[in-house]
Amino acid sequence: MSTTRWPRYFILPVALIVLWQLWGMTLPARSRAPVPLDVLASAVELVASGRLPMAILQSLGRVGLGFLVAGAIALVLGLLMGFFRPVERNLDPIIESFRPVAPIALLPLAILWLGTGTPAAVFIVAYAAFFPMIVNTIAGVKGVERRLVQAAQTLGVPQLTILRTVVLPAALPSIFVGVRVAMGLAWMSIIAAELAVGSKGGGGGSGGVGEMMFVFYAYYIELDSIVVCMIAVGLVALAIDHGLRWLQRWLMPWAEQYR
Amino acid sequence: MSHPATTGPKLRLDAVRKTFTVPRSGAEVVAVETADLAIEAGEFLTIVGPSGCGKSTILNMLAGLELPTGGTVAMDGRKITGPAAERGMVFQDYALFPWKTVFENIEFGLRYGPHGKGLSTAERRSRVARCVELVGLGGSEQKYPHELSGGMRQRCGIARLVANEPDVLLMDEPFAALDAQTRIILQEELLRIWGETGDRAERRTVVFITHAIDEAVFLSDRVVVMSAHPGRIIEILDVDLPRPRTDATRTRPEFQALSQTIWNLIRDEVYRAATAAGSAGGAGD
Repeated sequence: MSTTRWPRYFILPVALIVLWQLWGMTLPARSRAPVPLDVLASAVELVASGRLPMAILQSLGRVGLGFLVAGAIALVLGLLMGFFRPVERNLDPIIESFRPVAPIALLPLAILWLGTGTPAAVFIVAYAAFFPMIVNTIAGVKGVERRLVQAAQTLGVPQLTILRTVVLPAALPSIFVGVRVAMGLAWMSIIAAELAVGSKGGGGGSGGVGEMMFVFYAYYIELDSIVVCMIAVGLVALAIDHGLRWLQRWLMPWAEQYR
Repeated sequence: MSHPATTGPKLRLDAVRKTFTVPRSGAEVVAVETADLAIEAGEFLTIVGPSGCGKSTILNMLAGLELPTGGTVAMDGRKITGPAAERGMVFQDYALFPWKTVFENIEFGLRYGPHGKGLSTAERRSRVARCVELVGLGGSEQKYPHELSGGMRQRCGIARLVANEPDVLLMDEPFAALDAQTRIILQEELLRIWGETGDRAERRTVVFITHAIDEAVFLSDRVVVMSAHPGRIIEILDVDLPRPRTDATRTRPEFQALSQTIWNLIRDEVYRAATAAGSAGGAGD
């Protein structure tokens, strides 16, 4: 996009923020409604003090770890399930019966088994990220053109090598859809998990953006700071998705033309 | 090139029958009805027939991609139970790996399959480079399939097969998606690659599927004519045209007479299929 055009994209958001500010100024002071200028001041303070960046880094670390665990399991299982029918017939009922169980519903178990620190949060993230990745991996493997597999078979390539050298790259575009959906869910559930675990504050706190939001809400009723956290969460998610899209284009330069 | 100890045919279909069960209705469709066929080593054999005659099913069974419902398919006297590097295939839709370059596509069989075992990387690369030249793809090695024309894609498909040095080359309507001029050029090049001008003993066995009669006559030593519903072999014809075949071959009276004979064998069925188009589901040819 050219520099002469970009301001247009900001007309609507800026207008909305101005309206928000004007509306906020008509309210009585004790309403505690967050208004843009206060939010901005709060943001400057939270970033400058390093508290927000630290919290985001901590949450990101958990998302990354949980995501890697889930991705590794989903990739291997998904490839095998999509390629070998008996594997799918055996595992599919188990996976499909867990899929509708919301990650947050597992929180009591996670806290009971793993405590209120990082392991519980990572577990919740991994659980949330697992399903979109495995479902899309299986769909991707099943959608691989049969001719490509047959071409490799008639060159004498063994099945497991075909899985790695043909099925995996051919299914990659679909796998990546799962990765992007999973990343959104993982980020969503880390905040929820930290929010819930954060109530243990006073020594046993979980840390991360979620706990920060909980503390602002429960102990200080600082709505401005909570809005800052919300915006930060959104921006980080946006940045991650852009990163993933860039990775996709870099990994699969052939995919756009091919699909 | 390995030579079998036995002097029997290279490939043999013995009372081969193939049926499919239609999903849902459970009805049984006969794709191939008791086919017997012996294909000699070094022979260029073409199977022609209308859509739904089972010619591709026969090729898939030779490849080991499908197994017969009855009878046996054998190579060098050994029953075929699955795909193998000895029986390579070229596909109508090319089936090139879109994430690999031309060079990597051609290298694929040698890199991941059994026929590349024992080759050093340098030996493998030089063999691939020879195949690139053989099919006239020099200069396009680093291109991706989507950057190539249909004709060049199929050159790449042929090179991928030839580089793997299979005993038997199975070709499933390889030129069907190409324009008429490109087809003619590739037909002549295929015969050159096959070794038409060279020693007869050096030639590989080729089984070629097409629905173009002139293509079948131009390329082959023998033409197998099939008919549909159920798919069966109705005639096997020798092509007594001198090799190497050239443009002049197409104008010879024997060429025209043989093409006419084949056309007469399948004409009624082609007309029937053309007028009844859409009313009957084919068994997939």
